[in-house]
Amino acid sequence: MNQHETLKIVIVGHVDHGKSTLIGRLFYDTGSIPEVRYQEIAATCKAQGREFEFAYLMDALEEERDQNITIDTASTFFKTEKRPYVIIDAPGHKQFLKNMITGASSADAAILLVDGAEGVREQTKRHAYVLSLLGIRQVVVTVNKLDMVGYDRKVFGQVENDIRAFLHSVGITPSHVIPVSAREGENMANRLGHTPWYSGPTVLEALDTFENVHADRTLPLRFPVQDVYKWDDKRIYVGRIESGEIRKGDEVIFLPSGKITRVKSVEKWQKPDLFSAGAGESIGITTEDELFVERGEVVARRDNAPVKTREIKASIFWLADQPFLAGKTYTLKLATAEVTATAVAIEERLDSSSLEVTERHAKELLSTEVGNVVFALKNDIAADLYSENIALGRFVVEDGTLISGGGIVRSLSSDTGTSAQTIRLDEKFIINDDGSFVDLTRERGEIDFYVSSSFLDYLGAGNRILFRLRDPGQVGPVALMAFEHDLNFVFTRSRDRVDLILYKFGKEPELADFERGGL
Amino acid sequence: MHDHLDELEAQSIYIFREAYRRFENLAMLYSIGKDSTTMIHLARKAFFGKIPFPLVHIDTTYKYPEMIEYRDRMAKEWQADLIVGRNEAAIAAGMGPEQGRLQCCAKLKTEGLTQIIEKYDFNGLFLGIRRDEEGSRAKERVFSPRDKNFEWPYKDQPPELWDQFNTNFEPGTHIRVHPILGWTELNIWEYIKRENIEICPLYFARDGKRFRSLGCMPCTGPINSTATTVDEIIEELKTIKDPERAGRAQDQENAYAMQKLRAKGYM
Repeated sequence: MNQHETLKIVIVGHVDHGKSTLIGRLFYDTGSIPEVRYQEIAATCKAQGREFEFAYLMDALEEERDQNITIDTASTFFKTEKRPYVIIDAPGHKQFLKNMITGASSADAAILLVDGAEGVREQTKRHAYVLSLLGIRQVVVTVNKLDMVGYDRKVFGQVENDIRAFLHSVGITPSHVIPVSAREGENMANRLGHTPWYSGPTVLEALDTFENVHADRTLPLRFPVQDVYKWDDKRIYVGRIESGEIRKGDEVIFLPSGKITRVKSVEKWQKPDLFSAGAGESIGITTEDELFVERGEVVARRDNAPVKTREIKASIFWLADQPFLAGKTYTLKLATAEVTATAVAIEERLDSSSLEVTERHAKELLSTEVGNVVFALKNDIAADLYSENIALGRFVVEDGTLISGGGIVRSLSSDTGTSAQTIRLDEKFIINDDGSFVDLTRERGEIDFYVSSSFLDYLGAGNRILFRLRDPGQVGPVALMAFEHDLNFVFTRSRDRVDLILYKFGKEPELADFERGGL
Repeated sequence: MHDHLDELEAQSIYIFREAYRRFENLAMLYSIGKDSTTMIHLARKAFFGKIPFPLVHIDTTYKYPEMIEYRDRMAKEWQADLIVGRNEAAIAAGMGPEQGRLQCCAKLKTEGLTQIIEKYDFNGLFLGIRRDEEGSRAKERVFSPRDKNFEWPYKDQPPELWDQFNTNFEPGTHIRVHPILGWTELNIWEYIKRENIEICPLYFARDGKRFRSLGCMPCTGPINSTATTVDEIIEELKTIKDPERAGRAQDQENAYAMQKLRAKGYM
C-alpha cells in the first residue's frame, strides 16, 4: 500500500449534529491546522465574543460563517501516521442535498454523524440512503455531543440501535458505531476516559481500517469512447478504462454499434509499444479496421459485453427545484454516452428519509425525492446493471442544460443485439385467401414499418386490415404509422392480446369485425 | 499496479479530453508556477504531445524576471501558442499594490484576463487551481461557469457527480475547467519528481530562501528553506505547517479576501 495514497471521506448527517466541529477537531488533534489559520479563527471568534469554533475551519465561505451552516461541499486535508485524508464536508440542510451528493459521489468512505441527544433524524436517514445509492459501503457512525448527556451509556445504546436498524434496511453495515464528543475530543483521536463502557476504536483508528476504492481490473472490460482524434494519420479512440483490461491484439466489440475488430495498438504519450492497459487508465487505442464509431460507444469483449438497450429501469434521486415529470423528455449521460430519454413511468415515488413508497405511478418527483422510474431511450446505448458494473450502471439526468438528478440502473430490457425489426406492409404479404391480416404476435423486439404504395392503395380503396398484436406496446408503432399516413384505427382487447383494425374511409369497424379471421 | 499519482493523472487527462470535446474555443491560463506547468505536462499527455489550444499569461509587469525568462523558453520548447495579456490602460494609469493590493489584483489580473477573453472570444479556460490551496477554492466544481460579468455563483452551483460535468450553458457564459482540482501540493511535487518536469528556478533555495508560491514581486515573499532539489522540497513539505499561500500578501488582506476576489472572476 502506498503511504501517500489519500483516502476520501465524506461526513454526512442531519444539520446541527456537529459536522464542522467534528472535522475541526480531527484537524486539531492530528496537528493539521496551520498555525496562522488557527490564529485567524481564534481572532474572528474573539471579535464575535464566542468560544473557539472548530466549525469555522471548514466553513470558509463568508455566508457560512454568518449563518453557521455549510452551504457547499468543501474539502480539506489531514494526516494520520498511516496516510493522508481528504475530508469532504457535506452540507446537512435539506436544500443543499445536491451539494451533499456532489461531495459524497467521489468518496471512498463515509462518517455518518448523529447527535446523541437528538437521535436519528430526517436528514440522517436521507443521507444514509444516499450513501447506499452512491455505493459507499465503508461507513462509520459517530454518535456525537455525548458530553451534553453526561456520556450516558443508555442514551448511546438507544441511538446505536436505531441507526443500525435503519442502515440495515438500506443495505449498509457500519464498521463501527462510536460514542464521541467532537467538542471535547472524546474518542476522536484520543480516549479521554469518559466512556469506560466503550471498548471499540476511536474515529481515527476506525478510519485507518478503510481502503481506497479503485476501478476494478478483474471485472469485464469496459472502455467507453470519450473522443476520436484523427491525428498524425492515425485514428485514435481515447477514453478511460472503467473496468477490466485491454491488450494489443484483442478482439473487441464496440457497442451499441456492434462493430467488431482487433486492437492494433494501445496508445499513451511517450509510451511506444505499450502492450496493455487496465482499469483507471486514460489511454487511446487504434484498431485493425477503420470503424468510424463515435463518442458514446463502449469497447468490450464479445463474450462479456454490456447490454445494448433502449429501456432502462432505474432508481433516481432528484435534485432540481423544478419537479421531475412522468412523460417528460430528458437527457441521460451514462459513461460517455448521451441519449434522449422519456420518463415513461414513475412506478414508485419514495420518501427518501423513511423509504416508504408514498405513491405508485406518480406524476412527479420533487427535489430531494427518490423514485423508481422507467426510461424509454431514443437511441440504443450500452449499459450494465449497477450491481454488476458501477461505471456503466449509473447516469445523471439533465433537465434542459443542467445536471438535475442521478440514477442507478436496476434492470435493462435487452433485445439481445437486434434493433427495431422493420415489418414490410406490402399488399402481397397481407392479403390471403381468408382476408387481409398482419400478424405481429411473434415479434418480440421493437418494431417499425415499411409502408408500400400498394398497401396504401388497398386501404384507399375502402378496405380494412386486421392487426394481431403481441402486447399493447405494439400499439405505439402502429399508431405512429397510421398518423404518418393519415389512417384510422380501432383496437380491442382479445384475451391477453390486442387486436386492431386499420382503415382509411368508411364507418368505424365494430366488435363483430374482430371476430372474423381476416377482413 | 498503478498508484495514486497514476490515478490523479488519469483523472486530469479525462477532464482535459472532456473539455476539449465540449468547447470550441479553449485556452489555458498559464501562471508560470509549478501547478500550471504540471497542468501543461498533463495536457501533453492527454493530446499525445500537442497542446491544442493557446496558453494565456496575464502579465502584471510586476513578475520576477526569472519567471518571464523561464516562460518564454518553455513555451518555445513545448511549441505552444503563447498569448501574453496586459491591462495596458491600468498599467499606464500607474496601478500598483500601493493603491491597495486587492484593487491591484482586480485591475491587473482579473480585468487583464477579462480583456483577453473578450478579445479572443474564449468560451472555456483551463485553470490550475487546487482544492487544498485555500477555502473558497475547496468549494469549486471541475467545470465551473462564469456569467457575462465573470461572476461565480458559488451559492448555487449545479451538482457534479461521477465525472459527469455540466457542459451546456447559456450563451455568454464561459466555463472554467479545473483539471488538477483534486491534487494536493505534495502530489504536485511528487509528480514533478516522477515525471522530471522542469520548473521555474525560483522554487529552489538560494541563500537560505525559496519561493513556495509564485506571484508578483511586491506581494510575494520567499520562505526560509535550504531545499535545493525536488526531493528536499518534498521532505520539507512533510513537516511544514504554514499554508502554501502564506507568502501571498493579497490573501491576508482580510478574512474573506480570496472569496471576494474569486466571486468577481479572480483565478
